[in-house]
Amino acid sequence: MIRCENLHVTFNRGLPTEKLALRGVDLSIDKSQFVTVIGSNGAGKSTLLNAIAGDVSSTQGKIFFDEREVTRLPATARTKDIARVFQDPLAGTCGNLTVEENMALAYGRGSRGKLKPALNGKLRELFKEQLARLNLGLEDRLDAEMGLLSGGQRQSVSLLMSALQPSTILLLDEHTAALDPKTAALIMDISSQIIAEKQLTVMMVTHSMRQALDYGNRTIMLHEGKVVFDLSGDERANCEVKDLLDLFAKAKGDGDELDDDKLLLGA
Amino acid sequence: MSLFAFFGTLEIGFIYGLVAIGVYLTFRVLDFPDLTVDGSFTLGAAVTATLIVLGYNAYLATLLGTLAAGAAGLVTAWLNLRFNILHLLASILTMTALYTINLRVMGKPNVALIMEPTVLTPFESLPLENMYLKVVFVAVCAIVVGLAVAWFLNTQYGLAMRAVGANTRMAQANGIVVKEKVYVGLALSNGLVGLAGALFAQTNGFADSTMGIGTIVVGLAAVIIGQSLFASRSMVVIVLSCIVGSLLYRIAVSAALNADFLGFTASDLNLITAVLVGLALVFPQLRREWKAKHAREGKQ
Repeated sequence: MIRCENLHVTFNRGLPTEKLALRGVDLSIDKSQFVTVIGSNGAGKSTLLNAIAGDVSSTQGKIFFDEREVTRLPATARTKDIARVFQDPLAGTCGNLTVEENMALAYGRGSRGKLKPALNGKLRELFKEQLARLNLGLEDRLDAEMGLLSGGQRQSVSLLMSALQPSTILLLDEHTAALDPKTAALIMDISSQIIAEKQLTVMMVTHSMRQALDYGNRTIMLHEGKVVFDLSGDERANCEVKDLLDLFAKAKGDGDELDDDKLLLGA
Repeated sequence: MSLFAFFGTLEIGFIYGLVAIGVYLTFRVLDFPDLTVDGSFTLGAAVTATLIVLGYNAYLATLLGTLAAGAAGLVTAWLNLRFNILHLLASILTMTALYTINLRVMGKPNVALIMEPTVLTPFESLPLENMYLKVVFVAVCAIVVGLAVAWFLNTQYGLAMRAVGANTRMAQANGIVVKEKVYVGLALSNGLVGLAGALFAQTNGFADSTMGIGTIVVGLAAVIIGQSLFASRSMVVIVLSCIVGSLLYRIAVSAALNADFLGFTASDLNLITAVLVGLALVFPQLRREWKAKHAREGKQ
């Protein structure tokens, strides 16, 4: 479904601040596979997601969706295939539009905006039905301004929005990191439901080793812009957080202490 | 204030209501502060007046004036999007260039439209005094345009445009082509301002190279007054409140100028404008502060 061939991304090329964010990522993800992506800060996790979404253009290498090459396709053109949920709950929705307007925008994702009313009774029914799944009482607040909702509520709506259009790929970039544990669990729950229901191909970046093993069916770790290990099947099923940490230390090279508190704390 | 003066005030109020809708589109919807309007108001008037004097049909002339002003908006958008010039600066550049262009279009500092046929001519046979006819005509124009803009903002395309101004990243993630929306929004906004200029020239009988100075402030004043009075999420209410804001602004200004005990003269207009806009800007904040204070005291 998604295939990256020798993908390189360099920021500030030729400047003293040059940063090699991705240095040759080769990755092939099958349809309906749910891949969790881990790695320390600056390992290139978000860059990889942004490159696949088209927000960041690659300096070398190719990206395919199925057999279509999309390397040069702008981000907006890729939204036909890709839905995204960001880490910042404020990023995925418009605070000064209403809940239903936000959902209408997501409903129109991938199609050119037409000169016909964005909302109608039928759509409102659909949105209500979807919002009711959250059990947050939002189905009665369709015309409330998004900015009035809490971070968790906004992130829940962002998730629903990502599933309003049939897409095949879902990119989750630490989408529970900014939430309290209880809300984070709720969001993960809804995510799993939607993913299972729509049979999506998923890449989820997470800082929590626990989450990385509990969800999905494949885990990859990035380090310094490269995939350093790739677990799936039995190997992954028998893997514990501790093993993951060992693997990580090995990948980084001997004598290199694990210095990322977040990785440990997240476990 | 005489009845004649009052109707004159309403007439100008409705015309600048169109300006206010244009300013609303840029400042509020797209979050793109656009000062081009000072030039595009005059451009709309200049093109229309010049074509009418040359013998063109007044409606065709008005349409072309509107389109010319819309093109001016495209130039500002292009400077900003293509060359990353700060939006405010890009619009100032276009506005400055337009001053010369307007003089070139007219070939002289002003064009008089006395006795020339205008968009009002077909209605002059109606049993309605000219003073009232003008007000009714511009009121209908402003309200029809306002309703059309409100409808547009509620369409898929219009909603996408609002998303671009509210959260560009989210808009992009939902497949919205941001640049296109900015181009269309600026063209539409300046087109409406140009239409206002064209109507102003025809109801007042002239186009002048300096007539556009301060258009942005008046438009902004109307938007702010309207929105501080009507807090609503409905696009129809929001857009029509721009027109109401424009009317109230004009009435406040002419009341201030007409109140003899205040001793203002016509030359004091700019100070009155600045004070009114200042008040309209400060008012919502004072109200919030007062409410917050009140709520605290109430709890104790």
